[in-house]
This record gives sequence, C-alpha cells and structure tokens, in this order.
Amino acid sequence: MAEAVVMPKLGNTVESAIILSWHVAVGDTVRPGDLLCEIETDKATLEIESSAGGILLAQLCAAGDEAPVLSNIAVVGSAGESIAEFEPRSYSASGEPPDLPKSPVGDRRGAGLAAPIKISPRARKLAQRHGVDYQNIAGSGPGGRVIERDIERALPDAPAKFTPVAQAMLDSGDYKVAEGHPAGRRVSKADLERVESERFARAIPLTGVRKTIAGRMRESLQSTAQLTLNASADARALQAYRRRLKASDEGLGLAAVNINDLLLFAVSRTLPAFPALNALFENDVIYAQKAVHLGQAVDTDRGLLVPVIRSAESLTLKQLSEAARRLAEACRAGNIQPDELSGGSFTVSNLGALGIESFTPILNPPQVGILGVGSINLKPVEQEAEVAFVPHIGLSLTINHQVVDGAPAARFLQTLSANLAQIDLLLAT
Amino acid sequence: MPKSLIIDPVEARQASVIRAPEIPINAYTPDPAAEAERYSRAGLVNVYRDMLLIREFETALDNFKKQGAYRGVEYNHAGPAHLSIGQEASAVGQCLALEPRDFILGSHRSHGEILAKGLAAIRQLDEDELLQIMQRYHDGAALRVVEALGDFADARALAQAWLVYGAYAEIFARDTGFNKGMGGSMHTFFPPFGIMPNNAIVGGSADIALGMALFKRINRRPGIVIANIGDSSVASGPVWEALNFAAMDQYHTLWDAELGGAPPILFNFMNNFYGMGGQPQGETLGFGMLARVGLAVNAAAMHSERVDGYNPLAVAEATRRKKALLLAGKGPALLDVITYRYSGHSPSDASSYRGRDEIDLWREHDAICGFGDYLCANGHADSAALEGMQECAVTLIEGVVRAAVDLDVSPRLPLDAGGDAIGAMMFSNQRADALDERQPEVLQALEDSRLQVTSGKHRFGLDARGEPLPKLRTLTYAEAIFEAMIHRFYEDPTMIAFGEENRDWGGAFGAYRGLTEALPYHRLFNTPISEAAIVGAAVGYALAGGRAVPELMYCDFMGRAGDEIFNQMAKWQAMSANVLRMPLVLRVSVGMKYGAQHSQDWSSIVAHIPGLKVYFPATPYDAKGMLNRALRGTDPVVFFESQRLYSQPETLFAGGVPTGYYEVEEGEPKVHRQGDDITIITIGATLYRALEAAERLRAQHGLSAEVIDARFLNPLNYTPLVASVKKTGKLLLVSDATERGSFLHTMASNISQLAFDYLDGPVAVLGARNWITPPAELDESFFPSADWIIDTIHQRMLPLAGYQPRTEQGARSISQRARAGV
Repeated sequence: MAEAVVMPKLGNTVESAIILSWHVAVGDTVRPGDLLCEIETDKATLEIESSAGGILLAQLCAAGDEAPVLSNIAVVGSAGESIAEFEPRSYSASGEPPDLPKSPVGDRRGAGLAAPIKISPRARKLAQRHGVDYQNIAGSGPGGRVIERDIERALPDAPAKFTPVAQAMLDSGDYKVAEGHPAGRRVSKADLERVESERFARAIPLTGVRKTIAGRMRESLQSTAQLTLNASADARALQAYRRRLKASDEGLGLAAVNINDLLLFAVSRTLPAFPALNALFENDVIYAQKAVHLGQAVDTDRGLLVPVIRSAESLTLKQLSEAARRLAEACRAGNIQPDELSGGSFTVSNLGALGIESFTPILNPPQVGILGVGSINLKPVEQEAEVAFVPHIGLSLTINHQVVDGAPAARFLQTLSANLAQIDLLLAT
Repeated sequence: MPKSLIIDPVEARQASVIRAPEIPINAYTPDPAAEAERYSRAGLVNVYRDMLLIREFETALDNFKKQGAYRGVEYNHAGPAHLSIGQEASAVGQCLALEPRDFILGSHRSHGEILAKGLAAIRQLDEDELLQIMQRYHDGAALRVVEALGDFADARALAQAWLVYGAYAEIFARDTGFNKGMGGSMHTFFPPFGIMPNNAIVGGSADIALGMALFKRINRRPGIVIANIGDSSVASGPVWEALNFAAMDQYHTLWDAELGGAPPILFNFMNNFYGMGGQPQGETLGFGMLARVGLAVNAAAMHSERVDGYNPLAVAEATRRKKALLLAGKGPALLDVITYRYSGHSPSDASSYRGRDEIDLWREHDAICGFGDYLCANGHADSAALEGMQECAVTLIEGVVRAAVDLDVSPRLPLDAGGDAIGAMMFSNQRADALDERQPEVLQALEDSRLQVTSGKHRFGLDARGEPLPKLRTLTYAEAIFEAMIHRFYEDPTMIAFGEENRDWGGAFGAYRGLTEALPYHRLFNTPISEAAIVGAAVGYALAGGRAVPELMYCDFMGRAGDEIFNQMAKWQAMSANVLRMPLVLRVSVGMKYGAQHSQDWSSIVAHIPGLKVYFPATPYDAKGMLNRALRGTDPVVFFESQRLYSQPETLFAGGVPTGYYEVEEGEPKVHRQGDDITIITIGATLYRALEAAERLRAQHGLSAEVIDARFLNPLNYTPLVASVKKTGKLLLVSDATERGSFLHTMASNISQLAFDYLDGPVAVLGARNWITPPAELDESFFPSADWIIDTIHQRMLPLAGYQPRTEQGARSISQRARAGV
C-alpha cells in the first residue's frame, strides 16, 4: 500500500515551504528516517526525513516548487503501485490555489513532460501573432495566468492612443510610456512609468525569507505608531570589561563574550523594571511579559533573521553569550528551528560593528520596543570645567507609541545608559 | 372584490342548512319506439357500426403491441397504446348529441372518442365541405394515400377511411398523420371535426377545455366543449381548479347578461373504475360515486348525474340535456359516465389489480353485443347484417393499417434532409394585429382612458442635467406595461386578461390601473387562486383562436402551474405540427423583499423548457416595446417582470418611452454602455447594478466596461454578445436567479465556444447564492451587487491593482460551494 509523505507543519505560523533539493530519486529505495529532501520555509532551511519506507514512487513537487504544509510531496510504496490518489491534498488557507507542481504529470509517467503554461487563449493568440515568446513572461492574471495585458507589455511597438489622464501625465514631461506597450492599444495611467526611473539589471521575484521580511516590515509600519528616541551611554566600563574578558583564562570560557553580549545582558537586567516595554500588543490588548525573551537581529545571506533567547533575564552573562552565538550561527547556517524564531518580547539590533552611529530600528510586532545599538564614538563631555572626549555607545529605542509613552521610554534609556556605564556593578547584582 | 357585491354580515351569520339537489343515477329509461323515431333506423345501425369500427381499430393496435402483427400485417409499434376496448358505447353515445362545432378534448385513452367524433362529423358535414377539409389538411397528404387504397362509394366513405388512416398514421409517427406524428397515440386530434387535443397528463384537458369554453362564450361562438377525462383525475389539483373556475358566480352576477352566462363546458368523466391500477371507488378516493363531486362546486351541483356508459343511447340523451343547459349559460355540467376497459391500462399491464372474473362479468354486459341484440330485437337489423358490418370494419381497418405501416406509403417526418423539421414547428413566429375582425368591446374611448394620464407624463426620467424628475410625474415600468396592454386590447377583440386581482385592484402591483374602467368584465376578470387553471384556461383559450394574457402574481407561484407551463403552453404548437397556434403571453412578476417563497427569479427554469419564448425587460422602454412584440405574436411567451422595477422610470434609452406603438426586435440584446476592457451581460434588474459597477471600474480602476442587457432568454441572438466578447476578451454574466443551473451558464457555455480564441480569462457567472432567499434585511448577502461584480472580475479574470475585494468570489469558491451543495 503506497503512502504519501507530507510537507510537515514546521511551526505555528508556517503555511508553506519551498523544496530546495531532492536527496532520493524516483525509483530509489528509502527507509523511514532517511533524508528525503531539503526545504526552505520563510524562516529556515530544514531537512525532511521520509515518514515511510519502500520505493520512492513519485516526487509530487519539483525542486523550487512551493508546497503548502500538510500537502503530499512524495509517494513511497512498492514498485508498480498507482499514485493517482495522491494529489497534493490541501491548499493554502487564503486566496487562489497555489500553482500546481511544474511537472507532476511528467514525473509520474517518467517521461518528463512539462506542465502547460497558464495563458489565456486571447493572450496566446496575441503572442503568436507578434512572435512573442510567452514561456518566460510572468502572468498578472489570477493564479499567475498570462493574460492579454502581459503580452501587450512585452510587445515592441509604440502606442498611439491615450486616455485623458495618461495624456496629461505625458504632457507633464515626468512620464513616458512603458516599453513594450503594443501599437494601437489604448494607453492608460497604468501603462506609464516615470522618466527618471532606472531600468533594472534584473527582476527578482520575492520568495521565502525575503518575502516574509517584506510583508512584516510593511505591516509593522502600517499597523503601529513608531517613535524612535536616541541616546548614548558612557562606554568606558564596557570597553574595560571587554578587555578583561578577552584577556581572561581560556579555561573560563569567557574570551568570546563581546560588547554585544554585555549589551544584551544589560537589557535583560534593565527591562524587568519597565514592564511597559517588555510587552506584546495585539487586538487592543497589552500582554505584559514576565520573562525577557530577547530577540537578536542576525544578518544572513538570505536576509534578516531574529532568533530568540528565552528567559534572558535568568541567564548568566556566559550563558547568554553562548546562546546568542549558537542561535546566530544556526541562522547563518540555515538550520535554525522554526520555533527558535518566534516568541520574542523585545529585540536588540546591533549595527555598531558596521560603523552606524544611530538609526531607526523597525518594530517587530506585536513587540512594542526594539533597541538599536550603534558604534562607539568619542563624545565631548564637560568634566570639571574641562572638555574630555569620552567613548559613548549609540542607543536608538523605537517604541510603539500607541501603547508606550515617550517618558517611560526615555526613563528606560536613561536607566539602561546608567547600567551600561557601570556594567561591572550590574554584573554583581 | 367588486364594490357592487356587498358582503352582508347579517346574512353571513344567519343559521340555516345547505339544501342540495338530488343527483340522478342511471336515470335513463329505454324506449325503443321513441329511440327509433329520434335516431331513425339508419342512425341506430350507425351507432353499432361505429362501435365495431372503434373496437377493431383498438384490437389491431393490441395485436401489433402484443403479437407484432394484425391479420398478417407485421409491424412493431414502438410507441404507447392505451386502449379503450370496452368503452366504445360511451364515446359513440356522446357524439350522437354533438355537432362538428362542438369540441371534445380527451385523455391518453381517447382513440375511441376521436373516431366517434370524426365519424359523427363526417355524417353531418356536406360532401363538398368534407372534400375541402381533406384536400387542404397538410396539403392533402393523407388524402392521396387513402385515395390509392381503392374505390370508395362516396365522399363520406372516403372520409371514414381517411379518418382511420389519419389516426393510425399519427399513432405510428408518420408525416401523413393528423399531426405529422408529433402528437402520437396520446395526443391525436383533428380540429376541423371538433376533435381538440387529447392530453397525456391525467386531467390535463380539464382546464384547457375550460379555456376553449371561455373562448366560445366570450367570442360568441356556437357549440359546447367537453373534457373527456378519467375518473381518477377528479382528485388532481388542476381538475378541481377547473371545476371551480368554470363555476364562478361572476358569469351571472357581473358579466354582461347578453353574453349568455357561464362558459359552456361539460366535465365528462369516463369512469372506467380504474386510475391505472388504483380504484377511485373503494380504494383511492372517498366519493362513493363520482357524480357526488358536483355537490361541492355550486348550488346547481354542476347538474351532475351518473350515466350508464354501456348504453350509448343513455349517454346520448344525457349529453343532449347537458348541452342544452350549457348553451343556455347554465354550466358547468358534470357527467359520471360509467364504463369499463377490458384491455389493460397499457400493453405492460398484467392486470394484477383485478381478476379475470371481473372482466368476464363486464363482457357479459358487453355494449356492442347488447346493442346488436337491441337492433335485432327491434327489427333494425338481423344477425347476418351484423356479421356483414363486422366484416366491413375488419376490411377497412386491415386495408388502412397496411398503408399506415408501410414506410414507402406513409413516411416519417423527413428529419435527415435539413434535419430541423421539428425545430421549425416549435414556434409559429407569426404576427397578428387581431385574431378576429369584429370591433373590440370596450367601455370607453381610448383617448378617455388612463392613457390620457400616462401619455402626459415625462417619458424620460432625467432632466437635461441628468437629475431625476419627480417619480409621480414620470412614466414608470408598470405604466409602460399598461400602455402596451391597452393598445392591444383596443386592436384585438379576442384579447382577454385574467388572474388574481387583475380587475378593480389593477393587478397586485398596479400595472392594470385604468383597465377596469376601459374593459367589460369578460375581457378582464379576476379568477380564483388557481394558478394551474389560470394558465391552463389561457392555453385552451389560445388554442381555440383567441389571445390570452394570464398573470401569475409572483414567479414563485409558477410551481402551482408547472404542468400547464411546461407541458401544455410549451408543447401544443409542435405537438399539433403547427395546426394550432398559441398566442399566449404569461405575465410573471419576480418578487422582492418577501423572503424565500416570494422572491425568486425562475426565468432559467422556463428557458430550459423547449417551446417557450422568454422575455425579461429591465427598463420601461423595453417593457412596453417587448410586451407590444409579445402581444402581436402567435407564440407562447413567458414575460418576466421585476417588482424591483415597477416604479422605475426610463433612464437609459435617451429618447424615453415613445407614446405611440413600437416593438423591440425579438431576441436582440441591448448594449447600454460601450467599453473595451470587459463585457458584463445582465438579465433583469441586475442591469442597474452592473452599470454601477461599470462606473466604479471607470472611476477607480481606469477600466471601460461594456454593459449589455440580454432582454431575451429565448430566442436570443448571440451575435452582438460574441462581438462584444471578441472585443474585450473578458465576460461576466449576472442575474438575480440562483447560480446553480442558471440560464447564465448556458449563455456562458455558448459564448465560450463561440469566442474561445478571444477569451482572456474564464467566463464568470454571477447569480444569487444557492440558498433560500433570506429576509429583505439580508439581501446583500444573497443577491449580486456592484461589489460582487468587481470582486469577481478582480478574483477570476483581471486582478485590479491595489483593490481589496469585499467578498470571496475566487474560482476556488465554485468547487467549495458545489461540494457543500450550496
């Protein structure tokens, strides 16, 4: 009896994943637990093990295809069994059904036939009449169908007729007709582009992590009232302590603890006194958090990821440092677990190493605060009638002003600055 | 309803009892001497001869069905044969009292009645007349076959063979049959002899016969109408409705006395004691004797009586007495004619419901043997003469049958050549300003009628700046219907309109305001709440040659008239091979805001039925122009109107509604808004929502939508629809009918095929949800709106930049809803 292998549900918020590569070919034998394929969610790359044993009868998705969680991706069974019943079995929760796998028919028959391109009869006719290759045109119709307007945009001739609005825009000199608009076809506002707009080297459709980031960033700015406060903290104690750690006995295992770890430590110890900032805001309810689940922004090849250090306030500096390093490495390697990428209550984003003095971090809703950390710079400070240049570290706190007022946010920054300035004493508490 | 009839509470509350007339049972007393004088010796012998011929006719069919041969003539008859062997005396006796101008309508078991009526008519018409009828009928096709059969003594002998041949050829589905084979065994008829349609629906002839009787009364035509229907049919709704409709008080209390009273109709129940296998008397009904039913209908008990149908002279005498009453306007009448069929219901009948002994008992009373004995006993014939008559009957039947089964002599309708011979018979497609030449009867001059008021109103609903004019001073959709109605009433003297609340009230929605004052009762009257009989009577009126405009107050009530619309109104033109026409416009009002049983658009159901024309105007211009077109035609039209629109002024046809007469060309859709990007086709009141959506598409999305009102569901010219879709590449169809099975899907499928290469997306159909119509407060969740239209365009064919749909209309919803059955 053939069995399907489904795309596992990889965390509560994951709806689909992309197949990166298959490790077992159709016709090969596979045992339960064998590595079947590698996939990428919006958050991480993961390995999928086979849940069944036997001959791999079919791959229902090709590498590069996106498959909804819990949909069938492969069929395992005995040689010769029918796989007809194992269509991908569910669609994503919203909108159109996802594109079907590119070559399911070919895979099943082993003949390698390509699935038909989705194109309307009218668009195909137009493309054929003008000799346009529609194989690689991205369709703008429902479900990615190539429709007439997509072919029209790919046509070489210049247009002749304009809607009144389009004419006025052209007359202003700021716009021109987009390239590829067909001759004789009415030109409307949508067919124009700004004169100064650059032509791009290439168009990269958003997928995976980048698509998620794009959505989250937009949603963050659309759904919250963000206010950023800038301050700086005396960094002499930080730098002094860092030097001592670096020079410490290798056996203590503290040499790798860096300024960022010290900052995370200070934040984890300061936040509990400011419950307004260590909170989640959802559906008009503020959920004040007991623990400090500290998100840390990590730059990876695939884009920004934010792993979460659970209950950071209960960790020693060393534990905190180790956790931060482990998570960051997992993010860069692409094997971070989905659940380690969610559940944060406050985030720290550090661009100091790249020489950024201050910036406006964007909130990671439903969190209500995010701390941006800048570089350490000398700042003139008046000390006993003299001006001394004291190293200061830049701090930029973005809050959701819907639920956090400016003054408590300022007080938090003030306290954090004080704690950083005497980090050695804070470590003793 | 009429103010002239006072309902007096004192009278209404008075104690008393109902006294009913006695119902005579088998009251006929034979009197050979008087009978000989009345009918003459030859007449009495003809009764015997006719009964013999009928029995031999049926016996031949029985042999063909059961043995595949009759007297060496082999034939496999594929169609039905509901035989009346045993019932001959009832048919022949009835026709002794009738003249050619009297009509009979029958049932599925009416071969005997056809022959009896035809044989009687052949004796009554003069020979020249007979020859002319035979020469003219279908260009003499049957006559040529019969003339070749041999020499006939005279025109009457020829006509007898011709009658028998026409009936057989019809039963055997031949082009030379009375109705070119389109009627067949259960619907054979021949109007020139007063043989009107037989009906395969039990009781189907009752209300149609009533309509023909109304035609005779209203148009002052001679003769009576008889519905020959079975005993079991008395319990069917349409028969009960017809009995009551035929007995309305208004014929005596309100109609012009000079007209002559009630419609001359005899409900003649051929009571063979079986409704297929069920026994109405003793098993499936409780009347004891069918004649009792007359007591329930009116004070005269419908002059009801039971008659011995095994004595042809008893039937003749009773029929003659009823005919006199009917001609005097005292109808309706009811006869319970007891008879018996030896043959089964049909050849498949194993007679499991009755014993051989019962059949034998009746055979002992056999009417033909009995009447033969009567002839001999009274010296009208001897046994040798009787045997000679039997031989004559056999010889005639055998000769005719041989010709009727021969495909060379009696070919079928030529369907291969051209292939559309039946299609050509579905509609008569004629124009007739008037169906009679006399002056129409009216109560006021046209210029004094309410037309004076309506013609003075604004004919277009918007002023020069596009602002709406005051509604009360602007012609509405309902008034446009009035103008079309009154025009034809003053042109065609045969035109009548009836339904619930048509008079005084002016129709439940006021479309007939002003007609009460203009027309006498018999041209515009209220009916009982009997939708089946309303439509059925209209069918009979139209088949008899008049123009009928019945009304159903709500579309939802069509279910009550289902048989009359689907099986009668739709079918008789083709089943008669265009011998008859159906100038009938059924006005049907689609409701709104009245919940699940008063707000449905069933135009799709009607459009599904072959033989009906289906109109659905959406503007006053179209309401008047399309109704004008329907009322001048000769075909059955179901004319849908919408209660959303009755108060709608004309806002789309720039010239407004003309005051004079004009017609909208049948089957032509109307483009109300030009566009290049998408086509929206509407049926009915959704036109206005589509125009709203088109305006929003223009203003908010820079799209130009073409909006077309189909106006007609059948016939329908697809050319302009396809031309539009070829231009735009995208099509959405919308109506208020529920989506599943909507006629829009037929249009979508046809246009997809006709314009496939031009389509830039799937054709979308938008109807009401497949639910009950919810309360008016929830209309938005049920009926298509401008939002739904734009959402569907966005989700199925052309995603609109930055648009947030308000409802789920994606293609996925189609399969989900279908899977759930809603």
